[in-house]
Amino acid sequence: MITPGSKYFFGLTGLSLIAAILYMVLVNPSDLGAVALFGLASCGAVIGAMALFTRDGDVYTDEEAVAANAVAGPPSFWPIVFALGGAIVLTGLATVSAVFILGVAVLIGGGIEWAIHNWADGASSDHEFNKFARARAISALEYPGLAAVGLGIIAFLFSRVFLALSKDAGTIFFMVAAAAIFVVGILIASKGFMKGAVTVVVAVLAAIALVGVGTFAALSGERHELAVAAEEDHYDASHRECGEEKSKHYDHHANNTVSLRSAVTATIFVKDGKVYAEAIGMTKKVDTITIPRSNATSVMFRNLDEEDHRLVVNLGSVKVAETGVVEKVGTCTQLTGKNQEQVMTLTIPKPATEGEPFSFTVPGATGEIKLVVP
Amino acid sequence: MSTNELTLTPGNALDVAKGKLVVAPTQSLGAVRRPVNTTGWREWLFTVDHKKLGIMYGTVAFVFFIVGGVEALFIRLQLALPDGRILSADKYNQMFTMHATTMIFLFAMPMAAAFANYFLPLQIGARDVAFPRLNALSFWLFLTGGLILNASWFLGGAADGGWFMYAPNSGPVFSPSNGVDFWILGLQIAGIASLIGSINLIVTVLNMRAPGMTLMKMPVFTWMILVVQFLLVFSLPVITVALVLLMFQRSYGATFFDVSQGADPLLWQHLFWIFGHPEVYVLILPAFGIISEVLPTFSRKPLFGYPFVVFSGASIGLVGFGVWAHHMFASGLGPVSVAVFSMATMAIAIPTGVKIFNWILTMWGGKIWYSAAMKFAIGLVILFTIGGLSGVTHAVAPSDTQQTDTYYIVAHFHYVLFGGMVFGLFSGFYYWWPKVFGKMLNEKLGSWNFWFMVIGMNMAFGPMHILGLQGQPRRMYVWTEARGGEGLFNFGFWNMVSSIGSFILAIGVLFFIINVIKTTRNPERAPLDPWDARTLEWITTSPPKVHNFDRIPVVHHLDEFFHRKYEEDEATHTMKQVATGEELVRAEEAAADADIHMPGPSYWPLLLSIGMGVLGMGVIYGTPIMVVGGLIVLFSSYGWVLEPSVPDAIDFDTPSTDGHTKEITPVG
Amino acid sequence: MSHSVSPHTSEKAMDIVNNVKASSHRIRNSIATIFGLVALTGCATNAPQDTWQPRGENAQIINNLQWIVFPMAGVVGVLVFAFAAYTFWKFTDRGQPIPSQSHGKPIVEIILTIIPALILTVVGVFTFRGIFELAETKDTEMIINVTGQQWWWEYDYPAQEDQGITQPIISSGQLVIPVGTKILLRETSRDVIHSYWIPALNGKKDAVPGRINLLRLQADKPGIFAGQCTEFCGLSHANMRMEAVALSKEDFAKWVANQQKAYTPPADGTLAKEGEGVFLNQCIRCHQVNGLKKADGTPAIAAPDENVYSGAAPNLSHLMSRNTFAGAIFDLLNKKCRSDVWNASPETIGEKYLAGVSETCLNANDLRAWLRNAPAMKPMYADPTKLVKSGGKYRGMPNLGLTETDIDKLVAYLLTLK
Repeated sequence: MITPGSKYFFGLTGLSLIAAILYMVLVNPSDLGAVALFGLASCGAVIGAMALFTRDGDVYTDEEAVAANAVAGPPSFWPIVFALGGAIVLTGLATVSAVFILGVAVLIGGGIEWAIHNWADGASSDHEFNKFARARAISALEYPGLAAVGLGIIAFLFSRVFLALSKDAGTIFFMVAAAAIFVVGILIASKGFMKGAVTVVVAVLAAIALVGVGTFAALSGERHELAVAAEEDHYDASHRECGEEKSKHYDHHANNTVSLRSAVTATIFVKDGKVYAEAIGMTKKVDTITIPRSNATSVMFRNLDEEDHRLVVNLGSVKVAETGVVEKVGTCTQLTGKNQEQVMTLTIPKPATEGEPFSFTVPGATGEIKLVVP
Repeated sequence: MSTNELTLTPGNALDVAKGKLVVAPTQSLGAVRRPVNTTGWREWLFTVDHKKLGIMYGTVAFVFFIVGGVEALFIRLQLALPDGRILSADKYNQMFTMHATTMIFLFAMPMAAAFANYFLPLQIGARDVAFPRLNALSFWLFLTGGLILNASWFLGGAADGGWFMYAPNSGPVFSPSNGVDFWILGLQIAGIASLIGSINLIVTVLNMRAPGMTLMKMPVFTWMILVVQFLLVFSLPVITVALVLLMFQRSYGATFFDVSQGADPLLWQHLFWIFGHPEVYVLILPAFGIISEVLPTFSRKPLFGYPFVVFSGASIGLVGFGVWAHHMFASGLGPVSVAVFSMATMAIAIPTGVKIFNWILTMWGGKIWYSAAMKFAIGLVILFTIGGLSGVTHAVAPSDTQQTDTYYIVAHFHYVLFGGMVFGLFSGFYYWWPKVFGKMLNEKLGSWNFWFMVIGMNMAFGPMHILGLQGQPRRMYVWTEARGGEGLFNFGFWNMVSSIGSFILAIGVLFFIINVIKTTRNPERAPLDPWDARTLEWITTSPPKVHNFDRIPVVHHLDEFFHRKYEEDEATHTMKQVATGEELVRAEEAAADADIHMPGPSYWPLLLSIGMGVLGMGVIYGTPIMVVGGLIVLFSSYGWVLEPSVPDAIDFDTPSTDGHTKEITPVG
Repeated sequence: MSHSVSPHTSEKAMDIVNNVKASSHRIRNSIATIFGLVALTGCATNAPQDTWQPRGENAQIINNLQWIVFPMAGVVGVLVFAFAAYTFWKFTDRGQPIPSQSHGKPIVEIILTIIPALILTVVGVFTFRGIFELAETKDTEMIINVTGQQWWWEYDYPAQEDQGITQPIISSGQLVIPVGTKILLRETSRDVIHSYWIPALNGKKDAVPGRINLLRLQADKPGIFAGQCTEFCGLSHANMRMEAVALSKEDFAKWVANQQKAYTPPADGTLAKEGEGVFLNQCIRCHQVNGLKKADGTPAIAAPDENVYSGAAPNLSHLMSRNTFAGAIFDLLNKKCRSDVWNASPETIGEKYLAGVSETCLNANDLRAWLRNAPAMKPMYADPTKLVKSGGKYRGMPNLGLTETDIDKLVAYLLTLK
């Protein structure tokens, strides 16, 4: 016979199956939403099967009538949580989807806890034993769930803080936060030697600080330039401004160091206003760099001059089909300061046409390095 | 018992007092029941007994040995003649990839696990491993991984990028079929199995040794297995990372190894070989451990220099983490790195040499009995030395730039892996068969087995040294006469000799299979101590009872069993026998422990493995399947956690008090 | 005698043991002899890729090291086997009592550890020196860029006035170098990792995409030296070959002059001119011939970047000055001419090589078969229905469906690319 607990879960399964089918028909058959609803149906089926198999964890009892004499169990707040979940769901439907999802999570969590609480209550008339039974059944779900939620909150708050601060301030915050976590960890680990109250106070203060700072940071938003860059897509090659002066967007917060060093075919230097190049394997300076066609090759640019410079590669010109306009083809690095470097990775599909040889130049400096694509 | 205290013991019931209810906790506190100990196939499916798992590991590993061997025979058939037509280029690339992958991950590692599973608890005087259900999980995950890997043959083609699977060639564009995905998933799942097993065995060795067995009184086999588990714990995560990166690149569009996006292809090589080099020590050290038991037993004297052998094993393991880039001497690392790794690789030859000398010196002054097990053990000593010396020639990095990626390297590693590891495993088969199955493998067939394998092996792999030095590269589906040289002893000659040798080798393996079949049908039982052995696993019946030892032995010496049988005569300084093996086992039975508690069987390891398999297939065939697989894994994990750790009273049959114990039905 | 085996069984066992033992050391001895012979016979052939026949100073450095390590390993091996064989014979069970249970002698252990350590230290010193000698690049005299691609090699020679190269040269398959010159190869790859190996001249070095790896070559005397790609690079890894052709300095100058000669279109009205038309129709999509002009007079620039996944195909300028094609797996010379050139003595090989491929010497069979259906001759990914993963681009030369007359024309045209 179908037990009450499993009835609930099978009901959930049935409803979510119907919802899934409706979703597939009405919205989109291959959407993640359909998968999620099927997943919900499967979950319901699984838990329902468990409940059925254990007959709601029904306990072998000798005298069921004794339950009437038993002292009532302690009150539980899970029904309230469940109701709250329902309320949040409805709020979310009216406002933002994030709230709706939060409400669903609270509903599911509260519902499961309530159901388990009920089951445990009926396990026996000894409350101690019931607590033990409840813990045994659901702790395996509770602790990971709590941990996930807790860690998620911490990670989220940290991320908001980092996005709000500038790079340097972020580094300082990170060091301070790491040190603080370490200290708290030591305190907790040495709980035996410190008064319990001190540990608790420190932990509470740390939590308040994190939550407060994180919330404030979340509210104040991301670093301005990240938001702007994301909006205006300034790192796209077609938006680059390759002149001698600093461009408004492309050169903002230019990278000034390069992590890869061994994978460049040549390095182009500018020193005292003159451009020269060295290539791997070649002992003398070179005035021509050869790059095989269609081969992604990196060239490094090092600025040993006093002023800021950028490296520009000129790859001839091409007639745009739609407009008939002849456009110059090429790209450039960001503006680089003294003793700093940038890398340019080139994949050149065809050799130069006659009369329009390829070259590397540095605006504001003399000399050029020829580029040959054989 | 006060109302505030609650003590629950198996089979107990709370007292009925003050209207309380009677509760039988074992029946209520699990969400599901544990399986009852039945006989038949269900006993094997749900077992957590290390001995049954060891037998299953060994059987499946041997099947994969045959699979890998057939793949090798195809390769040799293709290469016997120039411009061979037996296999197309695509099939050949799949064949050599799967041959290596199968042999290393599905035969060698699991066969060592088979021996470790069966004998490590017995050798340290324990009744099982520390985490029996995890042990079962290791086996079922290995089987799942092996099946997924080989399913690729039928589902669009096997992996074809070489067992080392260098990126970018293994990326989605250059290896478009699903083969590499199957390879990744099969290895990931099998890797989880090994990692779980390694933690299990480390905890077992460190915590469950018999009283009196200090670390330096453990048998060498146990020591080598312990070192191997540490190697696995530190090297498997690296390959896991590499496989995850490649999986994300192939299945989800990541660009970890995509050069046009700024990646460095050498990343894969470093990650792979940081795992790959300790891996080869994972492969050989168990075989070293096995022959460190066999050689003393059949020389009738203890291992020469036990502490040196143990420490050299440990130092091989440690230094083994510092030599990985000797697989990359031609990759463009730069002379400084090359020099450092070259020197380190030479250094690692020294502890290996120590072991070889110790083994020979063990036999020096002994009373050598050339049983089949001993022949294989001696075979390992000689053949591994050849392989090791050729290894020293490629520790010299400039010389290696001529040898790497040629058949010279193939010769080297087949000598150390086949002549070393496989011979060690066969030695273990012949040595321990009577203990595991209660019957002795036929010695005459064993001799045929040995000689065919030795001759076949040398014929198959010896010429490869010459082929490599003559310039035949490896991983090529054809070789041409234009590159083959003139004269009698050219590519054609040596390739033909090698191919014929491989078939002779196959016949040798066939002799072993015939031996097993013949032994299984032979009703004659083996004596309890046929080899006059030295270590604790022989103080048990053949096969051992479910609970291994009737009484946990107290250990006073290294080679405890030998010391219980023999004492030194003060006057003549010769060894005098004071007890036989049978007498010692009967004595243990008479003093059997009461209340032996053994772990009960469980469904969940099998179910979880099935779930992992489905999850893996979902990576290839679509997210809905992944979701289903994930749910099965989740469900199984919770079932595992929620099942009672206390088995029902009917699960296990404790020895009765009248001295009779129920023996399990011998297998085979 | 063991105690737990019955006397009857143990007698039989001892018989078997004695027989086996007696034959075992005989067999062992004969195996040792065979090994010795084998080692000698290994030297008896002239395999083109033999690693013990150095023809240049880099390979010589390696060979010198080999002559230190291999004999050392051999001597150690023989000593260990002799010791082992003696042990097996002397301590066989002949009924002696169970021996005294010695646990080892630390002093012996220590000595046996120190001796190998000393030997390896000596080897290590020589190795160290060899590594740094081979890594020397400051005295390079000529640079050649090598680019590997599935499944062929491309070479380009940047302009180097002091070597007589005034404009960049591009070629594939056969790397032509002057003798006695320290050449530096700057290797890279367009797709996966390959490895450049000419055993007679040096060890191998991987060609890694995105990196430049350096390899030095120097040939002592003129000759053709065979090599193969030796890093698994996919389907046709076995079919990615090359040769290094060393010419005397005068011959090399002649070769450079030929490579730098301008393109001469075939005369109008000839079969070759029609072949040029077929080329401009079909082949130009991937293959470049420098100086070839389209019908309207503009330069014909090949577009392999649009058709081939890795973005390039062999440049066919001066094709007939090489004598292999398709990744050096097929000869452009027929059998007789080939053996004439390849087996020539160092004094005459330059002249013979520079003669190139003439109509009488052409291996028409293989060339025609290739043009007819390249994927049938060399496994490649060229089936237009199966190119989803590479975005519709070929990985190898497809079957162009050429008619026999087209092939006739093309062959005539290719013969003019001297």
